[in-house]
Amino acid sequence: MRTKIIVLLSVLAGALLAWNLHTIFLRVPDEASQGAVFRVFYFHFPAAVTSFTLFFIAMFSGLVYLRNRDLRYDSAAAAINEVAFTFALITLITGMIWGRIIWGIWWAWDPRITSYFICLLMYFGYFMMRRAIDEPHRRARLSAVLSILASVDIVIVWKSIEWFRTQHPGPVLEIRGGGGMAPGMEAPLFWNVLVFLLLEAALVLVRMRQQLIQSEIESLRRYAHAF
Amino acid sequence: MKFLRQAWAVAAKDLRSEIRSKESINASVAFALVILLLFSFAFDPTSDQVREIAGGLLWLVFAFAGTLILNRSFARELVNDCLDALLASPVSGAQLFLGKTIANFVILMAVETLALPVFTVFYNVHWTQSIGLVFVVMLLGTWGLTVIGTLFSAMTVNLRLRELMLPMLVYPMMIPALMGAIQLSSVLVAGEPVGAENQIWFRLLVAFDVIFSLLALALVETVLVG
Amino acid sequence: MDRNFEYMFYGFTAAWVIVIVYVISIALRERRLRDELDRVKRMVEDQEREAKK
Repeated sequence: MRTKIIVLLSVLAGALLAWNLHTIFLRVPDEASQGAVFRVFYFHFPAAVTSFTLFFIAMFSGLVYLRNRDLRYDSAAAAINEVAFTFALITLITGMIWGRIIWGIWWAWDPRITSYFICLLMYFGYFMMRRAIDEPHRRARLSAVLSILASVDIVIVWKSIEWFRTQHPGPVLEIRGGGGMAPGMEAPLFWNVLVFLLLEAALVLVRMRQQLIQSEIESLRRYAHAF
Repeated sequence: MKFLRQAWAVAAKDLRSEIRSKESINASVAFALVILLLFSFAFDPTSDQVREIAGGLLWLVFAFAGTLILNRSFARELVNDCLDALLASPVSGAQLFLGKTIANFVILMAVETLALPVFTVFYNVHWTQSIGLVFVVMLLGTWGLTVIGTLFSAMTVNLRLRELMLPMLVYPMMIPALMGAIQLSSVLVAGEPVGAENQIWFRLLVAFDVIFSLLALALVETVLVG
Repeated sequence: MDRNFEYMFYGFTAAWVIVIVYVISIALRERRLRDELDRVKRMVEDQEREAKK
């Protein structure tokens, strides 16, 4: 049953993506000042929005674990955080490539890219910590706490760097990607958000299933040792 | 009040132990001096440009030296199962955490107070007219560092790679507090008054301290006990 | 404008390379997990048979 859901999600994502790519490449005109590279934004923005949302969903999953101590919620949180991490990485790299053209430099130290980098560092620590703990409930507990702290902190970090950068304007100015876009150009953006969400849902489900297999292996090992 | 009294009992224990052995404070002050020395090779200490980054240097030194203290905070209780004894005692996890945070705060403030004159001399900065405000910034910033650091010390106490994991987890979390402290210190060290545009950093520091103190107190029981 | 096309392709390539690498790593992990599961199951069966003797 689950496999069917995963396949369905992937196929749907693939189909939507193909249709959307057609629109992005052939229908949407080049943006006035940026030329063709603007189209990278069609992947940068969905990756950013979806990964950010996933981090918060994972935090809630961790909270549910703390409430009812069901390890499946911890597996879900870990899977969601992992997928979110991957897409945050995509956000960062596509952002850097876009920035290289728009602003002339690979790394602009603006609030969004800096906050995302800090976010990646914090969740890298999250995965390192998970690997360092063997006992499942302890791992779940500490992961949930770290997830809460990271999610709260990322909001504060974002705001503080924004204030920091308004005081010391760097070589670049913020480009609010959403505003000022011609109506025809916005639609593929939101379709791509849907594509990414479907893709991420499929990946999360696959990873969750793997986490459950991992738990089964661990419990079988413990059973074997009991002999 | 009983809550605070018991937390203070834990703090007093840690402080007494530290005053007698002076392990953490010696190592931490020595480390701070070494970092100040190393920074002098990275930048020309006497140039005017250093004045601009002086606040940043100062707080990086405090953050690095602080990690030494924070690491030991819960780790010192592992010997002879002291941590288990503390958890089994009537003192709640939150009181234990608060006590240790207060102790770490006092020790780190002591380290900073010792390092500050050295920094002033090495980098030739003048801030004596605003010493009160500098001290306030130190208090606020150090509390933020200590609260986060002690919480993570509790989290990593039983982990395999504790000494590596603590800095890696803690530094990203501390960034807002560090940023606020650095901004304010840079302004004060340059001898300028704290203007309206810098008020926001005070608010950030206070908000950070309040939010993370409450969050830590709420979460520490889960971290320590389950 | 040519330069911008070039970087656009870099951007797309980077994004999809990361996704593909991730999916491949998931697939490899799947195979490794299944192998390990079979191995551990066989180990448990052997131990149960030993215990029955």
